[in-house]
Amino acid sequence: MKMSMQKISVLLAVTALWAGSAVAEDKPIVLGFPLGLSGANSITAPAVVQAMELAVSEINDAGGVLSRKLVIELADSASSAAGAQKAYDSLVYQKEVDAIISSEPSAARNAGLPIITRGKIPYIYTSFYEGRSCNKYQHIDGWVPQQVVSLMVDYFMKDQGAKTFFLVGNDYAFGRGLLGDTNKYVTEKGGTILGEEYNPIDASDWTAIVSKIRQANPDVIITSTAAGAPNVTFTKQLRAAGLTAKYGSYALDEGTAKTLGPDAEGIYLGGSYYTSINSEKNAGFLKALNDKFGTETKTPNELSVPQYDAIHLYALAAAKAGTTDTDAVVKALSEVTFDGPRGLVQMSKQRHAPLTMYLAQVNAQGDTTIIKSHPNVDPGEQCPNL
Amino acid sequence: MVPVLLDLITTAAILYIVSSGLLLVFGVMKLINFAHGGLMTLGGYAAVMATAMGLSPWIGIPLAAIFGGIVGLSMERVVVRSLYNRPLDAILATWGLSIIIGQIITLVFDRGVHFAEPPIRGVISILGEPYSTYRLILIAFALLLGVGLTLALRGTSLGLSTRAVIMNEDLARGLGINSGLVRSVTFTLGSGLAAVAGALITPLSSVDPNMGIAWLISAFMLVLVSGSSLYSLAVASIVLGGAQVVVSNYFGSVLGGMTIAALAAVILRIRPQGFSYE
Amino acid sequence: MSEANVKEVASTSLPRPHFGPLTRMVIVASIVLIGVGVAPLFMDAYSVNVLVRSMIYATIALTVDILWGYLGVLTFGQSAFFAAGAYATALVFTYGGFSAEYAFAALLIGIAVAVALAGLVAFLAFWHGASALYASVITLVLPIIVTQLLFSGGTYTGSSSGLTGFETIPLSSEAWFWAVGVWLVLLTAAAWMYTRSDAGRLLIAIRENEQRCKYLGLNTSNIKAAIFLICAAIGAIAGWMYANYTMVVAPEIAGFTFGTELLIWVALGGRGTLFGPVIGTIIIDYASAQLQGDFPFVWKLVIGIVFVSVIVALPRGILPLVSNAADWFRDRIGIAQPQQHSQLQLRQASRSGRNIIGVESRGPALVVSGVEKRFGSLEVLSGIDFEATYGEIVSLVGPNGAGKTTLMTCIADGSKRSGGTISIGGHDIAHRTPEECVRLGVGRKFQMANVFDSLTVGECLQIARARLDPLSKWQKSGVCSLPPSAMRVVRATGLHSDLNLPAQVLSHGKKQALELAMVLALEPKVILLDEPTAGLTKAERTLIGTILTELAKTEQLCILLVEHDLEFVREISSRVIVLHQGRIVLNGSVDEVVNSELVKSVYAGSGH
Repeated sequence: MKMSMQKISVLLAVTALWAGSAVAEDKPIVLGFPLGLSGANSITAPAVVQAMELAVSEINDAGGVLSRKLVIELADSASSAAGAQKAYDSLVYQKEVDAIISSEPSAARNAGLPIITRGKIPYIYTSFYEGRSCNKYQHIDGWVPQQVVSLMVDYFMKDQGAKTFFLVGNDYAFGRGLLGDTNKYVTEKGGTILGEEYNPIDASDWTAIVSKIRQANPDVIITSTAAGAPNVTFTKQLRAAGLTAKYGSYALDEGTAKTLGPDAEGIYLGGSYYTSINSEKNAGFLKALNDKFGTETKTPNELSVPQYDAIHLYALAAAKAGTTDTDAVVKALSEVTFDGPRGLVQMSKQRHAPLTMYLAQVNAQGDTTIIKSHPNVDPGEQCPNL
Repeated sequence: MVPVLLDLITTAAILYIVSSGLLLVFGVMKLINFAHGGLMTLGGYAAVMATAMGLSPWIGIPLAAIFGGIVGLSMERVVVRSLYNRPLDAILATWGLSIIIGQIITLVFDRGVHFAEPPIRGVISILGEPYSTYRLILIAFALLLGVGLTLALRGTSLGLSTRAVIMNEDLARGLGINSGLVRSVTFTLGSGLAAVAGALITPLSSVDPNMGIAWLISAFMLVLVSGSSLYSLAVASIVLGGAQVVVSNYFGSVLGGMTIAALAAVILRIRPQGFSYE
Repeated sequence: MSEANVKEVASTSLPRPHFGPLTRMVIVASIVLIGVGVAPLFMDAYSVNVLVRSMIYATIALTVDILWGYLGVLTFGQSAFFAAGAYATALVFTYGGFSAEYAFAALLIGIAVAVALAGLVAFLAFWHGASALYASVITLVLPIIVTQLLFSGGTYTGSSSGLTGFETIPLSSEAWFWAVGVWLVLLTAAAWMYTRSDAGRLLIAIRENEQRCKYLGLNTSNIKAAIFLICAAIGAIAGWMYANYTMVVAPEIAGFTFGTELLIWVALGGRGTLFGPVIGTIIIDYASAQLQGDFPFVWKLVIGIVFVSVIVALPRGILPLVSNAADWFRDRIGIAQPQQHSQLQLRQASRSGRNIIGVESRGPALVVSGVEKRFGSLEVLSGIDFEATYGEIVSLVGPNGAGKTTLMTCIADGSKRSGGTISIGGHDIAHRTPEECVRLGVGRKFQMANVFDSLTVGECLQIARARLDPLSKWQKSGVCSLPPSAMRVVRATGLHSDLNLPAQVLSHGKKQALELAMVLALEPKVILLDEPTAGLTKAERTLIGTILTELAKTEQLCILLVEHDLEFVREISSRVIVLHQGRIVLNGSVDEVVNSELVKSVYAGSGH
């Protein structure tokens, strides 16, 4: 008995010493950001980098986390699976980061997850996606189809009296997942789907699909095309054909809408962030961004703002856990709440976040106006086993 | 039926515009310019610059021709010239040049999508069916291009020299034709045409550093089945472009996306000379 | 007939112990293997991870090098086979779960799919008459189609997101490093042995001059297809390793971009060097993992610029530059170069008779009747009828453009004529390809000396014999058996002392003689010689003339000769056929032709 008491006290002393030294050294907390600096996601990457720099500087100015500073470690994932493997490997094994936060295509996330599992590191995924990605170390603060489909479809059917729909997407997991859910929801609500068409993700010619839309003559076209070129190419070819159906898009971002010029006018967008959100937090965020980057400021978007939120959520979780230890931080991540530009964000529903969702419309100047908002939209059953 | 027919014709016209520069280079130099896609991208950015400078969108087209021509000429001088006897290496080197063009554009303009004002918007009614005016204008452009190039080849002395080089280069050189000059001019012209095609498709395409690459394989396959004749290129554009529209319409876009490549490969297996009559 | 050494091999005693190339290879491979064994113990986990992947890529780059660098097939499509292996693995594990049996089954399925795809590509790309460009085009179409198929697989193949979350062979990174490292070393060593062997030289011969190989009776289409299938299988194995190691597959690994990236690595390392592509792939992939994050666009730009420069200025890549520098350094500090060439021995082949299908030694050797050849509306040959018997030397004369070479081509390649029949030794050649015509006993020598420039004289002769004496696939046999006729030419022209010289440094006359010897090595019954004396000195011409006359007599060969030199024709021919504007205008003895007014007017009319 005496012996074991002695053992425990030694153990305690050693632990205290170890913990103490960690604080004394004031080693910074390193956050790893695999990001598509090249490839498809590189279009939105500059805005994402600005958002993360802003979040990190805000936290550090306020004294850091656990009295340690946050440091950014960036790695190019080339928006691809192979690139993501390199990036995650380098962050986990070479830079030995404390957590990884990223907004990437699903293929890149999927490629990175096994490395996260092997490296046992807290991971926050910050992109909207097709749903049901589950991993012990993963949290997600972007939206999933369950949160946006009803918002968009209800608006067209109830407010606009639309009955017939035509769905167009790129042939990939996100496109098919989202439109599949849309199809189901429209049918449930008594609407008619006149067509559901997919183009390969690298295709630039939409002639056949535009022609089918013209023949079908739907009230509404809903698209889930890939970010960047496919969004633009489809919209231009649709507009060139002079089709006047209402047009809702799940994937068009404000920056890209601007480059479409007059072709983007009238497009309905669904998502969790638009610059025109009228809230104090958003105004503060936009001002801080502008103060920090001035004329270089990139339009924040559906990928950059969740990234900003996620860094704050990590800081809150680490503070709550009192350590950067993986299991404790992962547990705390499900519990903390951050009030950011998008409103309250808490990743409490099976690692996903109930969010305030917005329906917006692009106006003639290329800016977005918010038409509708639904607070606290539930992500539904995503990872029942976690 | 009318819109599908118009889709078919306009698709063929676009393919013809996109491929004619590549065909010219292949016909004269017997090498494949894999920088064709990169040069098209360059043309797209010429249209973006015209918009940014507040010029008429039509100005973007000659601007693209100048950009493409200058870049093409320097590529011919510095790189392509030393690869005349190594046609497969030329494919790789021009692919490398395409990467370089793409990366320089990225460094100058960033990776994002850019805005180019289309020369014309709206639709026009054809037999009671509204149809994109711009796509119809592209038919006229394709015809103009075909007739213009044919006249240039038949009517000018340089054109005559070019045709001689196409038929038999050794003989042409023996007859005192400066085949080096013919090659330089051809490559410059081919590159200029690629850039013009890039500018012409901006109203239908996204302008980003990869915009031309998507067109490269289709153009390449069309040229292979056409040999060196502008006439057979027109036939190939209608047949293969038409097949693409029909397949996409009735069997889905994924199959449509590989129609041109797969069909061309099969045609060449059965008839190595493709659509050219020899 | 006895096998007699005709060349004495000087058995020189070397001043210091000398290792054969095979021994040296084993030593080098062992050292590298030891390196692979200890490396993970000294490296951080990150480098181990990245290098496992780089080494997997290196195995597939190796196959690209064999296809492109050695065989001359520029392939954009190896990525498709890699994807076949990787997706087979991912699909089996995703839908069947992981077990050792399933892992093995996945490997077999991957290889089977890759080989089936490769068979389809080979069928399309390597048929008789397909150009190198067409073959490349097919390899370019393959990854495009495979990628679209993966996309259209929807949720089953994971579409653009690929598949992940499946369990795989539970090995640590270090264990993977050892497994992949050993596989890479063994594969490289095997490829090295193969490419240096006699059969490996054949790949270079096909790259340099496929047409000559066909006219040596070699079915190059089958050889290319076989190599292509093997490379596809190796690609599938690499894909299997990739899926097992990374636990994720995505459609981009099937794509044309990855296929091109492989070419870039091989080109930078040095095509046709094996070690260059392997080292190049590992270095570039490792470096891009380190640098790309900091300068994504500039890094790609740099790779692009270096790639173009290497293609233009250093077609053989960077490794040869390094090894040249090493040689130069060795010279400077006075270390002798290891001896490069093992001596080749020539032997007399026993007359095999394996050559000809049912030899008809009686009757005419060659019967041409009613042969026509048209190019579109242009008639090059019409109504050609003649016969030639064994032991006869028939000369074809006529002005330029009379159709002499075209006629030769029609006899050696059944697919060339537009009409009429040709039979060799009583067999109709029908639409036989050149290599099948060789089996009927046709040997053809081209107008321009047509040999394999970058091979040695001895290797050229070995390849000429490849049809009858199968080449060793793992070593240099050091032996070449030649029939007496070929041996006679080699000895008379002094080629036997040039066996280890590259063919390109030979004089024009010796090249002609070498090609003649190569044709005779086929043991043909009917020989077609297109201007065998063009550009030769008077002495060489006389020598060739004597040899031909002798051969016709002793070997009972039927020799058909195209000649401009009428004096030479007169000296050796037993009969002369005069062609003019695609028709036979005279078929008679030498004297008849020489004295014919018609022939004089034909030549005068054409300005000759």
